[in-house]
Amino acid sequence: MSATLFVQQLINGISLGSLYALIAIGYTMVYGILRLINFAHGDLLMVAAYAALYGMLLFSLPWFISFPLAIIATGAIGILLDRAAYKPLRQAPRISLLISAIGASFLMENLALVLIGGVPKAFHRPNCFSHVIIIGGLHIPVLTIYSPLVTLLLVLGLLYIVFKTRAGKAMRAASRDFEATRLMGIDLDRIIALTFLLGSSLAAASGIMWAMKYPQINPFMGVLPGLKAFIAAVLGGIGNIVGAVLGGFLLGLFEILIVALLPDLAEYRDAFAFLLLIGVLLFRPTGIMGEPFIE
Amino acid sequence: MNPLFQMRHVTKEFGGITAVNDFSITLERGELAGLIGPNGAGKTTVFNIITGVLRPTVGDLTWKAESIAQLPSHLITARGIARTFQNIKLFADMSVLENVMVSCHHSIRSSFWAAMLGLTKHRKEEERIREHSLRYLEEAGLSELAFEKAQNLPYGLQRKLEIARALATEPGMLLLDEPAAGMNPMEKMELAAFIRRIRETREITIFLIEHDMKFVMNLCERIRVMNYGKSIGEGTPDEVRSNPQVISAYLGGTATYAQG
Amino acid sequence: MGNSFYLPRPKAAANPAGGPTAGLKRWLNAALFFLLFGVLFLFSHYGSGYQVRILNNIAIFITLAVSYNLINGVCGLLHLGPNGFIAIGAYTSALLAMSPAEKNLNFILSNVIWPLNVIQVPFAVSLIAAGAMAALFAFLISFPVLRVRGDYLAIVTLGFGEVVRVVCNGAQSVTNGPLGIKGLYPHTNLWWSWGVAALSVVVIQRLINSNYGLAMKAIREDETAARAMGVDPFRRLMLGFLISAFFSGIAGGLLAHLITTISPGLFTFLLTFNLLIMIVVGGLGSTTGAILGAALFAWGGEALRVVEQPMQIGPLTIPGIPGMRMVIFSLVLLLVILFARKGIMGRRELSWDFLFSKLAGSRRAKTPS
Repeated sequence: MSATLFVQQLINGISLGSLYALIAIGYTMVYGILRLINFAHGDLLMVAAYAALYGMLLFSLPWFISFPLAIIATGAIGILLDRAAYKPLRQAPRISLLISAIGASFLMENLALVLIGGVPKAFHRPNCFSHVIIIGGLHIPVLTIYSPLVTLLLVLGLLYIVFKTRAGKAMRAASRDFEATRLMGIDLDRIIALTFLLGSSLAAASGIMWAMKYPQINPFMGVLPGLKAFIAAVLGGIGNIVGAVLGGFLLGLFEILIVALLPDLAEYRDAFAFLLLIGVLLFRPTGIMGEPFIE
Repeated sequence: MNPLFQMRHVTKEFGGITAVNDFSITLERGELAGLIGPNGAGKTTVFNIITGVLRPTVGDLTWKAESIAQLPSHLITARGIARTFQNIKLFADMSVLENVMVSCHHSIRSSFWAAMLGLTKHRKEEERIREHSLRYLEEAGLSELAFEKAQNLPYGLQRKLEIARALATEPGMLLLDEPAAGMNPMEKMELAAFIRRIRETREITIFLIEHDMKFVMNLCERIRVMNYGKSIGEGTPDEVRSNPQVISAYLGGTATYAQG
Repeated sequence: MGNSFYLPRPKAAANPAGGPTAGLKRWLNAALFFLLFGVLFLFSHYGSGYQVRILNNIAIFITLAVSYNLINGVCGLLHLGPNGFIAIGAYTSALLAMSPAEKNLNFILSNVIWPLNVIQVPFAVSLIAAGAMAALFAFLISFPVLRVRGDYLAIVTLGFGEVVRVVCNGAQSVTNGPLGIKGLYPHTNLWWSWGVAALSVVVIQRLINSNYGLAMKAIREDETAARAMGVDPFRRLMLGFLISAFFSGIAGGLLAHLITTISPGLFTFLLTFNLLIMIVVGGLGSTTGAILGAALFAWGGEALRVVEQPMQIGPLTIPGIPGMRMVIFSLVLLLVILFARKGIMGRRELSWDFLFSKLAGSRRAKTPS
């Protein structure tokens, strides 16, 4: 492989990784507090993509209004998801909570299928995201550069909220010790709602960028990115936001580079992430940034 | 001759915190010993290390001259060490009888093939396990409740069922983690009698953790005291009662040991 | 312990000593088998093709749901990869039972590898091989899978199902890739499907009722305590995992030879989702619940076809809504798990003891005391 091609793939990997990273944050935040894999998290990508598209198509909104509105709407749906499917099961066995999450995921996908139809829709990419920059033999779509930058900005914003605000402190306390936080008189329902709002909004931002990158959207578009982003979160150390970001970038690079280096295995691309997951669980179950479990 | 059980210079660290520090103890066949100490002294950690729930960071454990420090829990039970739990850990949604029958699992001789094919050999084995378990329930006075779900038993009987369940593994040493917790004086007296009876009929070693001083002092022949993960005294109830280190640990004068 | 306790009344209902005698139960079981035999005989001679297909579906679903329940309900692990085992069974059975000539017709893009290109075995042998192959894979993945619990186990098994599907798509010289395998001989009839269903129910139920099953339930209830009582969780869970995979594999082989065409798209996570609905609705942990759930699902799936077809009400034509069935299924799963977590049966079984005690109970209630 030529050096140019390698650099090209490296950039692609970082760009894909930034999308995984944004989704992984939501998984890791919810897992940190509720100890639940929010199976329906990936489907929020799809919700955001459709919301953004219909904002532009039906209401003729410009992208810079439609996209933020879609992100807010998805955040609200994230909170609704928690209230409807998870909140009633806070005291229930874990297996029930997970089954509820799977049910919610299927409900969202199939509702979208019934309401919108299964035919993939073309996502109208705004012109300003369609340019391609050419630097010395490298063809780089601007989107490929924008998405890591947007991710970086959003992560910095999130870290500010989590580490510098009162709500963020409560959130961290809840992920350390749920019961003690409750005893300290903190309204956990509000903290959980905030967690879902933040996680879902980030997933929405990722979903919109995903839709611009692969501009054919369908009701099941969120499933695979969602699963892989969860794996990224485990890779980084579940419960750790910086770890999730790191895991996302690593997974993106890993996928792109394996396909680039071993093109014969391209068909098996979607299997790599799971093999990586098995490897991580076997050799370092706490992930890269995770602390060892304390009794 | 080798002692029945020996724990030598065992230390257990959890990411910087030393829960058990250079702890050693020897237990002989048929002994009835107690382990006391303030909350967080590391008593339950000692039990968890003995039963293989936790691995010691440093140190060794021997049972009948064999090292068991690296054995998993279920094999330690099979070797003859059984326990109860501080926060009752019954199989809540299973019947009282089934709780005890699980304890016979490690001694089952017929294979799962025989079970799936419903062979007579296996049916006889199941019958044997059932009879065996019913005997233990009878001994604990729980026969009447054999078909009740474990979670429906009142608290005191749940503790008693835990003991019956541990006994059904036919141990050579029984570890009881706060068996009298949450009981009224009347129940505690009955429990003490039950524990004495177990020891006398079986000649097994009993090692128990308890917070109720009166209960321990009346029941145990030898008492070990722990504080901050360290052993701070051992002796007969009378010796322990007059040990100044023990008194200061219990009266809050713990500054001298705080660095342990 | 003293009379200060409230002593719950001993339950006669759960006490087998108060139920029907073993001899009577044997007769009742035999009668049930003859009844099933008679019904199958009637349908295989006089039933319509549609009825026979539904009955075959029910039987295969029963096999799948009962073996899935062994892991999810009895062992208490949320296993999300049965679709992988079903796929392995379906492909194994299909490739072994098909004649080499037929295989050559199927494999257009690349030739089928040796020894599949020369081999053909009887259907029964192919089914056993299907189960064995699925169990072999279960054995291999149980090492990483059973090291973890809870959500992690769910996602790893889900990943396994996904990997199997991706490999079925990619390994063209074995599975014919996305094209799948067409023109399988329809070996599966009522005798095969119900025979396997009955066998799996009897064998799995015996396992659950044995001390091995008790050990599995103990692990579900409290793994630390189970270990402390001498149960080795790894070996017991592996046993459940292998038995479950074995029957899932056989059911996969039956499924392949019922619908006669298989492709990777048939074995997606949707298949696992459907099984999950069956066992949750029936009651996690109950074999008879799984049977009821499977039958309800097969029947409900057919009954709900109306919502996807155009409806004529008087002069009005309501267009069918494709995908509506899945919306209803997802809603059913959510509603059951949110509001009726125990499903139909909870963890109880519809056994002779249970029926007799119900009968006795209602009789006692009627006689004035």
